[in-house]
Amino acid sequence: MTNNHFTIALAGNANVGKSVIFNQLTGLHQHIGNWPGKTVEKAEGTLHFKGYTIDIIDLPGIYSLSTFSIEELVSREYIATEKPDLVINVVDASLLERNLFFTLQLLELETPLLIALNQIDMAKKKGILIDCQKAEKLLGVPVVPTVAVSGKGVSDMLETAIQVIEKKRKIVPLKPRYGKEIEERIEKLVKILNKTQLKYPSRWVAIKLLDEDKEVEKDVQQVSPKTVTVAQKLRAELEDIHGHSCPTVVTSERYQVASRISKEIQQITKQVKAPLREKLHTATTHKVFGVPIMLAVILAVFVAIFSFGDFASALLGDLFFELKPSFESVFGTGIVGELVWGGLMEGIIGGVTVALPYILPFYFILYLFEDSGYLSRIAFLMDNLMHKMGLHGKAFIPVMLSFGCNVPGCLGCRIMETSRERLLTAFVVTLVPCAATSVIILGLVGNYVGIQWALALYIVNLVIIFVLGRIAFKALPGEPTELIMEMSDYRVPHIKTVAKQTWFRLKEFIVMAFPLIIAGSIVIKIAEVTNLLEPIANLSSPITVAWLGLPAVTGIALIFGVLRKELTLIMLASLLGTTNFALVMTPVQMIVFTLVVMLYIPCVATIGALVKEFGWKKALTITVIEIALALLVGGIAFRLLTI
Amino acid sequence: MELPLTSLKNGETAVIQSTDCRLEGKKLCRNKTKKGCNKKFANELCIKRLTDLGLTPGTKVTVIKSAPFNGPLEISVRGSRLAIGRGMASRILVDVER
Ligand SMILES: Nc1nc2c(ncn2[C@@H]2O[C@H](COP(=O)(O)OP(=O)(O)O)[C@@H](O)[C@H]2O)c(=O)[nH]1
Ligand SMILES: [Mg+2]
Repeated sequence: MTNNHFTIALAGNANVGKSVIFNQLTGLHQHIGNWPGKTVEKAEGTLHFKGYTIDIIDLPGIYSLSTFSIEELVSREYIATEKPDLVINVVDASLLERNLFFTLQLLELETPLLIALNQIDMAKKKGILIDCQKAEKLLGVPVVPTVAVSGKGVSDMLETAIQVIEKKRKIVPLKPRYGKEIEERIEKLVKILNKTQLKYPSRWVAIKLLDEDKEVEKDVQQVSPKTVTVAQKLRAELEDIHGHSCPTVVTSERYQVASRISKEIQQITKQVKAPLREKLHTATTHKVFGVPIMLAVILAVFVAIFSFGDFASALLGDLFFELKPSFESVFGTGIVGELVWGGLMEGIIGGVTVALPYILPFYFILYLFEDSGYLSRIAFLMDNLMHKMGLHGKAFIPVMLSFGCNVPGCLGCRIMETSRERLLTAFVVTLVPCAATSVIILGLVGNYVGIQWALALYIVNLVIIFVLGRIAFKALPGEPTELIMEMSDYRVPHIKTVAKQTWFRLKEFIVMAFPLIIAGSIVIKIAEVTNLLEPIANLSSPITVAWLGLPAVTGIALIFGVLRKELTLIMLASLLGTTNFALVMTPVQMIVFTLVVMLYIPCVATIGALVKEFGWKKALTITVIEIALALLVGGIAFRLLTI
Repeated sequence: MELPLTSLKNGETAVIQSTDCRLEGKKLCRNKTKKGCNKKFANELCIKRLTDLGLTPGTKVTVIKSAPFNGPLEISVRGSRLAIGRGMASRILVDVER
């Protein structure tokens, strides 16, 4: 902190309105990336207000500061070690008790705190009135009522924040108290801990030791192993007294404090009758109608996106190709011209005609669904099916995305809680046939062999996903987590937030995928103009011809298909010298070729996404496994089909 | 009557007894060090998540419904609506008046 340059972090439960407040504060001055080395999204932004420069960090939505998810770990690490000048705890006024449970933990962490009591409009609708002054008195920190979606109270909140940071307000934060038995033991631990040097406050560490927090225990073990043994003993005592595990006792008592405070400050006037959003919830999660509604919605979305995408993509492509003559007049039609147009420009065109017409609406609808609350209902409905693969319902969301494009699918794995689940989901996701693969399935097999064969291929793919998912689930060490998820009320989505989220995601896609797509396109052109294609075809022929029974040129299409999957079919046509594949390939060859394309490596952009999220080693492992799998399945299919 | 949460009927409300035990066949095991209960306990992190979300002993919980095909349960606790997997739910013991 310098005189007028501060850092403020937003913290709170999921769905309380942090992102809306973050967007209100920072506008487009934001940067969305990952926390270093973690697959957790980090949103940062800067705000200029009355001569102050304020960096704002939107921490992930969490319910506690324990170790359940990477998000929780990241958040508490950040608050304790980076020491922001102020933490604004965004609280959902209509769910006070549970939100205060988190507030109490922030108080225990002894960070400078301000509470934004958000969604007071929703609370009012539900008949809940809150006494802010009393809340301030009980919690000992400033409480500012806000309605993030309309911006009400947000500037008040900022003014108060600055007052707190500049210490112009006297603040005595509440120290949450537990029952006598726990307090005695906390004190014992604090006494020993006060002699050691830790990055967290002693009282918090003491509480966390009783809470059986493995990470804190590890830290303490290094400086004072004795304390850990003492804590173990104290925990056993508490367990004997209360008859529950110690973490449960601590959590339970903390909830009692939250419950007491919330009862004192809120007034519940009337129970409103089930409004439309409740009926919508009942219908979309209904035992009989829930799944059909979901299937209809997903189908409608895909049909809409693809029909819009095809139209817009063709339009954009035509626009670009009108530039071709002017490029040729500048760079000529020789090797340079070929490389500039056929390599660089066609790479860019390929990227643009995918990103804008397909990815953009895709993300927009996804965030619309997320903001409205429908995604969590889909996870609820699909949990059982995903469970068979050792994943829980939330994993269905990245899988669904992957039918469009594997890249957002891989990035979408962030919604899973543990790194084990993220990796497992990513593995499953990369096996899903994306839109480009579907073009091959339908264009080659569907067109020339028969639609029932195309369908059969989809089914084979799903079966393989299922089997491999199960194997990976068994092979990967660690315990599976089950679905535990909040289904917050349906709401009208906040379009500005949705639009911004879409924009930042699209940007991420462009930054990551475009260089790879363009480089891939240039590599293909270079190979073409330097006559490398023939040697490549010969080199790969032991696999393509002998093992898979395919024409030799398919080797080229398969290898370069990694770089530009959407071009595989066009490439194949130009290599074979005809678009009538029936003349040059047998039905079996078409099926085998498609099978291999379906299963082998995700495209280069997907590998890029995997590297970004999981590092080189895991990305490479997944890639190698999938190539081996594709060749194995392809070879077997060839032999089975030609018996 | 002490029952696992999964055996409540839709719309029924009960009080949570414990979240950290495991149902072995019909036998209940509450203490993980006790002999005969050495089989894997519920994922401890999941228990933590449950209690963090407010499913602590003594709390009232209402089962709204379950997802199709014997899927997760929809419950209401401390004013919020949660979806929890069946495995977890079967390890939550509740006290219900019938
Ligand atoms: N009515 C109302 N809705 C809000 C308010 N703040 C946020 N929302 C909505 O609550 C949902 C979750 O908000 P979001 O900022 O994404 O929550 P986050 O998970 O904390 O980042 C969105 O649909 C918002 O439009 C508010 O003050 N009033
Ligand atoms: Mg958010």
